[in-house]
Amino acid sequence: MNINSIESTKMERKEFLIKTALGAAGAITAPYILPTGRLFARTNAEMADHVVYVLFAGGVRQQEAVLKQYLAGSQDVDIEGNIMYNMLEGDPPDRKIVYGTTPVGEPVGSQPIPKLLNTTFQRMGTIFPEVQAVNGGHYGGLNSLITGNRSTSQGLKKRPNYPSIFEYLRRHRGFKATECWFIGNTIMNSVPLLNSSNHPDYGTQYGANFVAPGVTFGSDGYNTLANAKVYHPQEELEPIYRMKAFLDNTFRVRNGEIDGIRNTEDEKIEIKEFVRDIFNKGGVPQPPVSDNGDMRNLAYAAQVMKWFKPKLTVVNLSSVDGCHSNFSGYLRSLHRADHGMAWLWNYIQTQIPEMAGKTILIATPECGRNERPNPIQDENDWFAYDHSGDYNTSRIWTTMVGPNVPANLMVGDPDNRVGRATDNVLTIAEIFGVKSDVQNAGLVDPGSASLFDRI
Amino acid sequence: MNMRIFKNYFSLILVAGLFAGIVSCEKEIIANYEVNEVDVLDGDLIKTRNKSDKQYTSILYTTLYKKAISVNKLVQTERVIQSFGDKSLIHEIIVSNYMNSGEVELPSDSFMRANPDQFIIDTYKKFYVRLPSEMEISFFRNYIEANPNVTTELVYTAFAASDEYQFY
Repeated sequence: MNINSIESTKMERKEFLIKTALGAAGAITAPYILPTGRLFARTNAEMADHVVYVLFAGGVRQQEAVLKQYLAGSQDVDIEGNIMYNMLEGDPPDRKIVYGTTPVGEPVGSQPIPKLLNTTFQRMGTIFPEVQAVNGGHYGGLNSLITGNRSTSQGLKKRPNYPSIFEYLRRHRGFKATECWFIGNTIMNSVPLLNSSNHPDYGTQYGANFVAPGVTFGSDGYNTLANAKVYHPQEELEPIYRMKAFLDNTFRVRNGEIDGIRNTEDEKIEIKEFVRDIFNKGGVPQPPVSDNGDMRNLAYAAQVMKWFKPKLTVVNLSSVDGCHSNFSGYLRSLHRADHGMAWLWNYIQTQIPEMAGKTILIATPECGRNERPNPIQDENDWFAYDHSGDYNTSRIWTTMVGPNVPANLMVGDPDNRVGRATDNVLTIAEIFGVKSDVQNAGLVDPGSASLFDRI
Repeated sequence: MNMRIFKNYFSLILVAGLFAGIVSCEKEIIANYEVNEVDVLDGDLIKTRNKSDKQYTSILYTTLYKKAISVNKLVQTERVIQSFGDKSLIHEIIVSNYMNSGEVELPSDSFMRANPDQFIIDTYKKFYVRLPSEMEISFFRNYIEANPNVTTELVYTAFAASDEYQFY
């Protein structure tokens, strides 16, 4: 290499550095156009590329979860222990094991499910062990987790009155519909309506894709969808969409008149391929123990993540609600929910390279359960618990794990309540750099805050 | 006396009979009341109400198969529609599923190409319960003629998945 070439190389390097610096500055300050048509300058850096938000739902008592009291906090039996040992630190109970699987010839639930994670969520991330639920019912509680609003006037079988986190992200952050998914565990209890509000400033045009895998990919879905014709994208689908576009243009629909969200034509093709792929596979990878609907829901959620790599995936669980009439079943469901969460975390880290190390997982129950039992006893003569609005019902917890989440941190304790169910919306907004936009919209609980601000 | 009274009555009856005969011999006028023919398919039909999932499925099935859907299949399809967020997309998949069944009654492609205007009018009536405008006929006529790949199945799929078909 001669001197000229060295100088030339130096010049190129200098030019490169200048251009890179200018480019980087431009990227930080250059405005970009959002779906609203408004010019925005991005002000906050993202803390993670993806968020998985688990509505650890169905109503979970603090006593059997973060307080690790097993039977001591509910049945007047002096046996404590941690049955969520993938998420929480602590030894499991050593007697009266009913929460596991059932080996042949052994008592029901007597075999605990082996631990999947070497390091618990508690050690990897941050736990808020004493958070305030804002509603003692399922739908109100789920609404508060999704919208960040207390919305006490929310009716059943209605879309939320206030915008969901999906709508905030799609409107203010510009995410596509296929980048936001809500994986529902059922089509009952207004769950399919939680992917979007009916708020006039947001609404279904900013909603998330919703799927209830138990139905879509169950026998009903198989009989209705599995034989769908595979149209050629250019020769067949393109004419269909061309003609449909003409028909839709001649029939002007006012915004909000057609229920449900809308994907672009490219996104529709992608979703159709996904649906076909699921049916063609004939099954999907599941947690080692998958004997309830929650586990199967997590399994399909993992497939959605693997296919679409969504920015935000919200997954709803609910099996623990069997606690209304079966306390032993509730313990089994809680143990499995912990198992499923660990499996999902492992799946993301090992099977979805685009999300591994770049995903923050957040989990919160939508409400707690009563301190006192109802009169219903199960096969072990243990009493069941409802959630009818006492103080214990308002006690929940939140766990966060992933990049930029402080490790091995516990914020608050039973005597020092820190955080609200409504905090999660601002937390996710902060992760994606749009917290101030969401706050400025003025539609979240005024008492809520990002959990990162509460640390 | 009695004979004179009888004659008077007889004369009166005779005169009345003659009068009635004259009057009754008038030619009868047959009134024939009819109504003007009116096409009940309104070209400017305003549809403002969204079909329920059940209505959409039931009407779609009848339109394509020319028979009523079974209750089990109706409930099953309704549940599947509810399990998906993008209704338009799931409708498309359901339609393509029906199309793949081999039982859908479609006009032939040769009929469509030989009689595009009639095919378009029939299709608008079938799916939208209205007549197409000249502009709509013109678009489809030109599109069908310009695209040899377009089949009756693709046209039906576009109509079944369109916004207007979701309203009544």
